[in-house]
Amino acid sequence: MDMIDFSLMADIRTTGPVSLRSIFLAFLKMGTFAFGGVYSMMSFFERELVQKRKWITHDEYIESVAIGQMTPGPPIINTGICIGYRLRKIAGALTATLGQIFTGTVIAILLAALYMKAEHYPFIKPIMKGIGASVIGLLLSIIIKMSGRSIRDLKTAAIAISAFVCLAVFRLNPILIILASAIAGLLLFRKRCS
Amino acid sequence: MLVSLLSFCWILFYINALTIGGGYAMLPLLQAEFVERHRWLTNQEFLDALSVGQLSPGPLTVMNAFIGFKLHGLTGAFLAVVSSYLPSMIIVTLAARYYYAYRESEIVSSGFKGIKAAVIGLLAAVALSLGSTSLADAGTILVAAGSFVALNFTKSEPTFIIIAAGVLGALIF
Repeated sequence: MDMIDFSLMADIRTTGPVSLRSIFLAFLKMGTFAFGGVYSMMSFFERELVQKRKWITHDEYIESVAIGQMTPGPPIINTGICIGYRLRKIAGALTATLGQIFTGTVIAILLAALYMKAEHYPFIKPIMKGIGASVIGLLLSIIIKMSGRSIRDLKTAAIAISAFVCLAVFRLNPILIILASAIAGLLLFRKRCS
Repeated sequence: MLVSLLSFCWILFYINALTIGGGYAMLPLLQAEFVERHRWLTNQEFLDALSVGQLSPGPLTVMNAFIGFKLHGLTGAFLAVVSSYLPSMIIVTLAARYYYAYRESEIVSSGFKGIKAAVIGLLAAVALSLGSTSLADAGTILVAAGSFVALNFTKSEPTFIIIAAGVLGALIF
């Protein structure tokens, strides 16, 4: 299984290529109804794409999720791009992304339009105050969940703490901190070539 | 105007190309650029954008469309979407094509391991900065603590917690 050539994936399917329209509709559904954390979305995606539509196998799905997580950008979008790419190359990747972000983007723009008229609607401010407070609570719980995955030993803990101090205390530019941490990662975690 | 629109797009492009570890990993850089450096948004407005991103279905990055619309109207929202997802489109299709080389690359994986750890620290600093803006009184602190507990110790969906907090806000603030 280690030597699968993904470029051949679309060709070995007996049912013929999946249409862009059905890719769009499938990802539109997933982007619209996938609430909550990454993990609930992941199982929702698997149900839709592997079990119901049988567009990809379980292994292909797991590999797409892995690629989604080890590439920069939002993992859930990257997973979708990867699956779309496997189904219909670049056109499939674009279609999957469009479908996945469509509802959220439209809602965000509508809320932005409403938000910019907030002074005319006095009920918006207290609502945003409640939500803003709640988001801090969510952020804290996400930090805890993410630390469980990313902070595994003293070295990773040291990088996290240094990054915190550099930003919170010394107010250094976070992009510099990110680049420095990548270099630290290279120095600390790269296995020595024999 | 054009210059600030272009630099807005460039910021989203490079942030999406560099941060790994999910939509939240981008918050420290977005805040540094939009709030601290360019002062296009106040801390409160940034928090509101984050709230909208959290509330809307799909990835957190739809908050970029909110920010784009607020700063530059529909053009801004459209360009925000393009600049946010273009890096993913390029990098992921390349990574899918060269999956095994990419996966086995020590340089990529060890560098990302460092970035993922740093992101936790950066995110904690951002939570502190946003918290000092939004947690103004006992009521807001209670709402934050309640959301934290609900998310950590129950199986509630984040979206419903946020909607509940909004309703609560309308009632008590």
